[in-house]
Amino acid sequence: MRRPRQIVAFGGGGFSMEAGNPLLDDYVLGLAAAAGRDRPKVCFLPTASGDADHYIVRFYRHFPASRCEPSHVSLFRRDCGTDDVRAHLLDQDLVYVGGGSVVCLMGVLRAHRLDVALREAWEAGVVLCGLSAGSLCWFEEAMTGYHGASRPVQGMGLIAGSNAVHYDKEAHRRPAYHLAIGGGMPAGYAVDDGAALHFVGDSLERVVSSRPEACAYRVETAGDGVMELPLPVEYLGAAQHVAPALAA
Amino acid sequence: MGGGGFTMEPGNPALDDYVRTLPPAREPRICLLPTAGGDSEEQIRAFHAAFDGQLCEPTHVSLFRLGSRPVPLHEHLLAQDVIYVGGGSMVNLLALWRAHALDVILREAWQVGIVLAGLSAGSMCWFEYGVTNSIGRPALTRGLGLLPGSNSVHYDGEPERRPFYLEAVARGDAPAGWGVDDGAGLLFRGTRLAEVVASRPAARAYRAHAVDGVAVEQAIEPRLLKARPHADGLAPLAVEEMRALSAARRGFRRD
Repeated sequence: MRRPRQIVAFGGGGFSMEAGNPLLDDYVLGLAAAAGRDRPKVCFLPTASGDADHYIVRFYRHFPASRCEPSHVSLFRRDCGTDDVRAHLLDQDLVYVGGGSVVCLMGVLRAHRLDVALREAWEAGVVLCGLSAGSLCWFEEAMTGYHGASRPVQGMGLIAGSNAVHYDKEAHRRPAYHLAIGGGMPAGYAVDDGAALHFVGDSLERVVSSRPEACAYRVETAGDGVMELPLPVEYLGAAQHVAPALAA
Repeated sequence: MGGGGFTMEPGNPALDDYVRTLPPAREPRICLLPTAGGDSEEQIRAFHAAFDGQLCEPTHVSLFRLGSRPVPLHEHLLAQDVIYVGGGSMVNLLALWRAHALDVILREAWQVGIVLAGLSAGSMCWFEYGVTNSIGRPALTRGLGLLPGSNSVHYDGEPERRPFYLEAVARGDAPAGWGVDDGAGLLFRGTRLAEVVASRPAARAYRAHAVDGVAVEQAIEPRLLKARPHADGLAPLAVEEMRALSAARRGFRRD
């Protein structure tokens, strides 16, 4: 059976940001396991952090060999050819892109032609996910996740439209994103820490969250202005309590 | 530098002292670009450990942390006396500089007379071509091309680079250039080689060029730099003093 193309884009969260709250990581691991393997193959790309050692260590701590077959690819200490990295990515059930600088991430991915390899992996049904820079990179355009001035940057364009992350974190993000959309950036999605967009194929299938209050929005132009439409969010923590009640 | 300085020769500051004293300023402003190493904290810490106590004003710019620590790149870099580029992945270094328009800023810095220095990837980046190991095997990759020709580093330390480099020069894939050992450094004024220096007696640099399809190497004897007076004696003593002091504060002595 052909696996669908899937991307889960976190506004922020997972092991990098929510120690002790594994809801989003469990969600993507569940998607990876749905491909049929008991221990899905999960590859971490810490590129956006400059392959920071402590980040790689934390990944292995949160994705232990008891639950999956974890690996990582370091592009700063690369010891194998492009074809080998490509083959490794295509062999995964889940590729998890870490946070950091999206400008640095895109620069390095392109230099190693991994933007091409990741598109191939996506088309082959490898689930792609990530937070922050690891969310922004999948879209056509994105607002840099920086503190201070956000600016537009080109992503891989697997998902049409634009993306802004950590939307709840700083007051200036909303006006900056609205200004960019009003100025011609394609319409897109603004996502709080703890919320994640799950795309199947080209369409947004659902929005899930690890925190009850986390929101996500569709942001687009409307007349002369910019419209922000809140999206329905499913809180993953409530699932096990709510489901029986609904069934009854 | 073919290799050396604070990241590779922590006990031998000869090359770093040489770089630090090149500009006329009494307390030169020296900025580290640790880009090729992914802005690793280790490299940044080692730089400050080496330069903070010296007669200079050391800073560093992390492109990966511009979000949390914004720096006006053009303004900051053009205000330096020395820009010191750390080692790591040459492919990533060039990609990250281009993504931040640092290729343009560094050319401008060079043109206004700021000393550009670096080791390994931070050496090859200034030439037209370098020999990178950052894709898992030796490969030619383009640098900024401020200096004409090619450069291969760690000439003695990573022996697999040498035959690859010489073959590339012989075939004409790489223009003539310089192979440089760990501990040796080339000083260019403008685009002309002005001096070859070394922090170790055995370190050499080689001019490599093709003659009738064969690579020819000419060894260049460097000027051996003098070790900083007392540097070797003072540092360990200071460390011992610190240890004794902190042991005394904790209320016990280690004998």
